Amino acid sequence: MEAVLANLKEWLQDRKSHLDLFDETNTAKQDNPLYIMGGLVWLSWMIVIVSGIILMLWYIPTTTGAYRSIMHLTNDIPFGWLVRGMHKYGADMLIITITIRIYRMYFAGEYKKPGELSWMILFASLVLGMISGITGYALIWNQRAFWAAKTVLTVPTYYDEIPVIGKLGIGHAIAYVFLGGPALGQATLTRFYAIHFGISVLAVILAEVFFYRTRRRRVNLSLFTVTLVTVFLAYVSFDQLAAMGRWANPNRTPLPILSDWYFLALYQLVKYMPPLWAGIAPGLLIGYGMVVPFLDRTKETRTLERPFFFVVGALALAYYIGFTVLIMLNIAVISRDPPIIMVVTFVVITLAFVWEIAHRRRKARLAREKQAQGRSAQPGRTAATGPAAPAAPAQV
Amino acid sequence: MTANRRSLLKTLTALPVIAGLVSVLSPLVRYLKPNDRPYQLPLTAPDAPEGGPQVVGQTTSLAKPWDYFYFTYVQKYAQYDPTGYKKANLAGVAVKLPKKVKFVQPETGFVGFEGETDIALFQRICPHLGCIFNFIPDWHEVTAGYGGYRPPSWEEHSLMACPCHLSIYDPSYPGYPGNVISGPAPRGARLFKFEIKGTDIIVTDAESGGIA
Repeated sequence: MEAVLANLKEWLQDRKSHLDLFDETNTAKQDNPLYIMGGLVWLSWMIVIVSGIILMLWYIPTTTGAYRSIMHLTNDIPFGWLVRGMHKYGADMLIITITIRIYRMYFAGEYKKPGELSWMILFASLVLGMISGITGYALIWNQRAFWAAKTVLTVPTYYDEIPVIGKLGIGHAIAYVFLGGPALGQATLTRFYAIHFGISVLAVILAEVFFYRTRRRRVNLSLFTVTLVTVFLAYVSFDQLAAMGRWANPNRTPLPILSDWYFLALYQLVKYMPPLWAGIAPGLLIGYGMVVPFLDRTKETRTLERPFFFVVGALALAYYIGFTVLIMLNIAVISRDPPIIMVVTFVVITLAFVWEIAHRRRKARLAREKQAQGRSAQPGRTAATGPAAPAAPAQV
Repeated sequence: MTANRRSLLKTLTALPVIAGLVSVLSPLVRYLKPNDRPYQLPLTAPDAPEGGPQVVGQTTSLAKPWDYFYFTYVQKYAQYDPTGYKKANLAGVAVKLPKKVKFVQPETGFVGFEGETDIALFQRICPHLGCIFNFIPDWHEVTAGYGGYRPPSWEEHSLMACPCHLSIYDPSYPGYPGNVISGPAPRGARLFKFEIKGTDIIVTDAESGGIA
């Protein structure tokens, strides 16, 4: 037991010293735009925090005051539209940069030793970012906010259908805690406000501790990039005024109703799945993300050298984009699609598995042949290594 | 493991420490979880309607089959109080069915009406994830806007459909009024319990469950 703990401690210390959260210095490829994501994460995060604090000066966190106060802020306060736009589009950029970084780390195999902890923190930060997103866009108290909050907080109630542990009523208790009562109302808004603010405050404290202890840079970007991105965000805020929607009406759900863009794929999944599974599936996805560095045990980082994990990632990307398109165009047929998607997923995953096995066999055979060639070239040394020695534990 | 003096003493000291921790933790949990009455941990208050009998409409508005009207069953504690505690009102729809049925929820056994009725009162809170579903007088609109569901010929009449996740409900489903016929909802629409006095439709109770 103590040995395990000591190992874990050593592992943690080693990975901590290799943490690469924002400055991307562990990869000498700063000319590649995919490798400025770390800096952009921090930049957009700071834009969101600063604009968020300015928004708080005018925001009224009540069900009767929220919508009007944001309307007032956007239309009457000088540069109110800019602050709100920077907050909204800055948050979008934060989610986009984290997502791109996740896919890059996945396909480039950067989650492998020693990057496991960086990957896990990045993945957790996407989840926190999305929670921040849903608690944040609820604050406008418009239709999108109201129904997103209501559906999301109804999902946990289905956990009470799980045999045995369902009897404890934990699912309903979770919903009750976040709603602040039996229904969506003022208490929910107050709680969401606190969560929305709290996530960033706690995370920024942790990030500062990290910077203080490691002396790493916050924004490893040129001044030109920083200015370009900021000006671009300001321009988008001006050109595409952040949407207001309509005031929340608990007696009417509009058709169609869409969530914020990064939830759309998940939303489509919830249409397809029975509700309990729709509540468990995101947990499984997050679980897969968290443990994938320990499932993919090879040292190989090149994408095509690890076919199974490549296909799983590609499939996830395809579903993310495909589901988003389906829901935006509202063309999915709910009664027809789920079996098709199940079969496609099953077949693709099976083929990926077969590909992985075939690939490993091929590599092992090549390694054996190479060794055999080496033996025939230097017959004098074969006796020393011994023919019984297994083929070099090929990079499988 | 042998029981010696030391482990016994350890256990004896641990007990009050654990008890102390629990007594501190309990108010902490209560800080997070609002209760409308004491000693509800970890259970939640049952989501039962508290509105009392209310006249929600007149039978004269439901003359022909598939006539309908929307109404709201107002809960007693719907107003915001200083704690922000709120019980939501229940959106409902009253429908005239083409023939008399037993208005009973077969899964829960909830009786919506004593005897047979051709007037049906459904809660419009979707039993899936709580959105408010709509009564769609023309089923073509369901096919066009609610996930492409094409009802079989015997079901080509008015339906109910939810904008959020596209569950479709049939108000006159044989043996199960308001049953879900497409989409992810795990059960049919929830019922109101009602009686008819003269032309008044009086809601007396509603099926509990879900988050209202």
